[in-house]
Amino acid sequence: MVSTSSLSVIIIGCGIVGASTAYFLARAGVQVEILDAIEPAAQATGSADGAVSVASKRPGPVMNAALAGIALYRELAVQGLFEGAFKSRSTFVLASSPVEREVLEAHAAVLRSVGVRVEMLTSTDLRARFAPLSDAVIMGLEVFDEGHAIGYQIVHRLLSAAPVNVRRNCRVESFLRDGNGRVTGVVTNHGPMLADAVVVASGNGSADLLGIPDVLIARKGQLLVTERAPALNAAMPGAIMSGRYLISKGMQAGTALASDRGYGTVVDPLATGQFLIGGTREDSGEKATNDAEAVAEVLRRAVEMVPGLAGVRLLRAFAGIRTAVIDSKPLIGRVPDADNVYVATGFEGDGICLGPVTGKAISQLVLDRSVDLDLAPFSPARFAQLGVAA
Amino acid sequence: MFDRDVVVVGGGPAGIAAATALSQRGFDVELVDQRAQLGGAIYRQPIAGARPVKQSRFAARRWQHLHAAIQHAAVTYRFSSVFVGVDGHGNTLIEDRNQGRLVSVRARAVVIAVGAVEKVIPRPGWDLPGVVTAGGLQVMMKETGTAPQGRVLLAGNGPLLIAVAAQMAALGNAPVAIIESGNPMAINGNGLGLLPHAELLADALGYLSGIVRHRISWRRGTELIALDRAGSQLAAELRHADGRRETLLIDQVALHDGIRSNNFGLPADQAGTTTMPFITRAGDCREALGAIASQLDGMRAAADVAAYLSRKPNDAAASLDGIARQRAAQAVLATMFAPIAGPPRLTALPDETIVCRCERRRLQDLKLLLGGTGALSGREIKHNGRFTMGACQGRFCADNSARIACELNPGSPLVASDLTGSRWPVRPLPISALLGDEPAHHDQSARDQ
Repeated sequence: MVSTSSLSVIIIGCGIVGASTAYFLARAGVQVEILDAIEPAAQATGSADGAVSVASKRPGPVMNAALAGIALYRELAVQGLFEGAFKSRSTFVLASSPVEREVLEAHAAVLRSVGVRVEMLTSTDLRARFAPLSDAVIMGLEVFDEGHAIGYQIVHRLLSAAPVNVRRNCRVESFLRDGNGRVTGVVTNHGPMLADAVVVASGNGSADLLGIPDVLIARKGQLLVTERAPALNAAMPGAIMSGRYLISKGMQAGTALASDRGYGTVVDPLATGQFLIGGTREDSGEKATNDAEAVAEVLRRAVEMVPGLAGVRLLRAFAGIRTAVIDSKPLIGRVPDADNVYVATGFEGDGICLGPVTGKAISQLVLDRSVDLDLAPFSPARFAQLGVAA
Repeated sequence: MFDRDVVVVGGGPAGIAAATALSQRGFDVELVDQRAQLGGAIYRQPIAGARPVKQSRFAARRWQHLHAAIQHAAVTYRFSSVFVGVDGHGNTLIEDRNQGRLVSVRARAVVIAVGAVEKVIPRPGWDLPGVVTAGGLQVMMKETGTAPQGRVLLAGNGPLLIAVAAQMAALGNAPVAIIESGNPMAINGNGLGLLPHAELLADALGYLSGIVRHRISWRRGTELIALDRAGSQLAAELRHADGRRETLLIDQVALHDGIRSNNFGLPADQAGTTTMPFITRAGDCREALGAIASQLDGMRAAADVAAYLSRKPNDAAASLDGIARQRAAQAVLATMFAPIAGPPRLTALPDETIVCRCERRRLQDLKLLLGGTGALSGREIKHNGRFTMGACQGRFCADNSARIACELNPGSPLVASDLTGSRWPVRPLPISALLGDEPAHHDQSARDQ
């Protein structure tokens, strides 16, 4: 085991992954500095839907990681770190058409097969449990033991709980290397900075540093927040997700229903009495802007499932740019051509769920300890061009 | 691909001046206002059947000229409609409350002339029922022609308090007193600076004579430091210049600490592109200098827009000279009315004072947030402290929160827009307004006149 007291680590990116990594490293006694081109939670983490969920996932390594991610949220909530910042609730996936019902039934079986607690609800069951739902909903799937966390709140908790220095407006331009090519730190717009190890967790900003512009995809999402509507909020026992959402994620091969804006409806009753409503999954649109066409479509779909939302006011619209990987799996692990550089990015829409568990895994890698999570499927080595020598 | 040359938001002096000038130059102009008629806050017209509040001779004449000019211009009106923002595709979004739906207009230019916002400094108890703003009270009187009932106290800082007091008195219910933190009557020659500004001077003397005639107590150098419930009334605690305390029992208090420009969530000025409109703010929402300057800045905005649309040289120079004169006059007024105890220090308020009324966030919450890791950005204060997150979207707390942050971390200055950002909807928008087949595109529902 490495002596941690003298170890210094630079983390590039102060989103949820960088902040989680910093938290676990700092708790182990490592000197940690986070460099962010803007400020904490300024990009995808600050504009995420906050789902801590497996409801829309297929079995596989991402599902396994997400289950571990949910378990870690629960653990950290009990320990106090995330107390009050993690809302435990079910997710209800809803079908409004025979096609969606088919997808839903198949999906329920799949979730059950990997041990996720689910229950199919007929429209009568739904009416009893979930009064605000529209009659158009013909079937529901309750996925238990899920939750919601607001990304920027989690980052704030992590940074407040550990001795971590955050440098804002600090943009990393390249790696600093010695005569043997070994990475000794980074070059920033404020000059060179030395460290024993470097963790790259800068989302779409990771592409240039690691030479993988063709591996990462910027995928925009638009989200909405309403004013407080306490009665309607209290009548919703959990978040809802349209069966169409599964389709927009390509769950049913060959379907033509997914639009190019990638609409997938999610309505999450927040702890404040407000609602979070999503969203889009857009390959075009590098800019984090909202447009009336998409916002109106998102709201129309939400009102189709929860008619009472028509009587509520929209308070905020925002957009974020997710970082996706071309093979739909995140990049987590050591960079192949450097023994002291690590990467953790490409979580697409799962960053809030996977951030803490990934941060813990990276900290274990850096400290040369056994890693809780199976990182093999996420190995950066699967992309030959990825490296610090770019 | 464009529906309109220009959308002008706001039917006060800046918006009317801009719309008139642009229409006279041959551009196709739509004017949007949230009320059912022109006027804005300063020239707010009485609702049907109400009797007009007496205005100064100069103000009445300015309104007559403005109104006559726009009547002769071919401007299209969309009343009872609220500007929602400019979206990422360059659409100007308007909530048309007559139709209950969101209207999307492709305009080549947008002039935002939505007026100033009233500054109100937090005080313990300022969130109680019975607390209003003096500017709000004034607009209500202009609309209804009646004064508020009961024992009303006016408190804060600035010339508007005297104007409101004189208007209340003329409508038959003079305020209990005016609590003014400055002392504009101090004999130090400051007021002489107003001599070159005949209209402002005449307005001021008119209101002052109203106060004298109705024997309204104008307590200069006095501060309202707290409000509390007292049965069905409010107890207003005052601190005089000599430190003496006094408590007044009242039914209603109208607070006012000056006016400021308004950029809460509004799009920033920007040069137009093939998809995005040219955007400029005009009048008090750009720089709060009063009605005369607003009208001139409306002309300035029209010149800027015309130069952009016709690719000709700009002719705003004359307006800019006039605006500079008004800026000088406002500086004189600010000096005259400077609080005698110095600029208010918000961090000296009791820790439990509410700063953000929507989210019930207190001064101590902000101190705690900023005491930890040091300077935070406006966005972090908003997200992690929930300041400016509420339904008012920062109108009542963004400026105060930014000022408190500056007092705590003078090295990292913040302004209100650092907290609010620039986004749409700039006001809460009924979801029902978005439920048509698609956002209603430009249509003939706006009235051509």
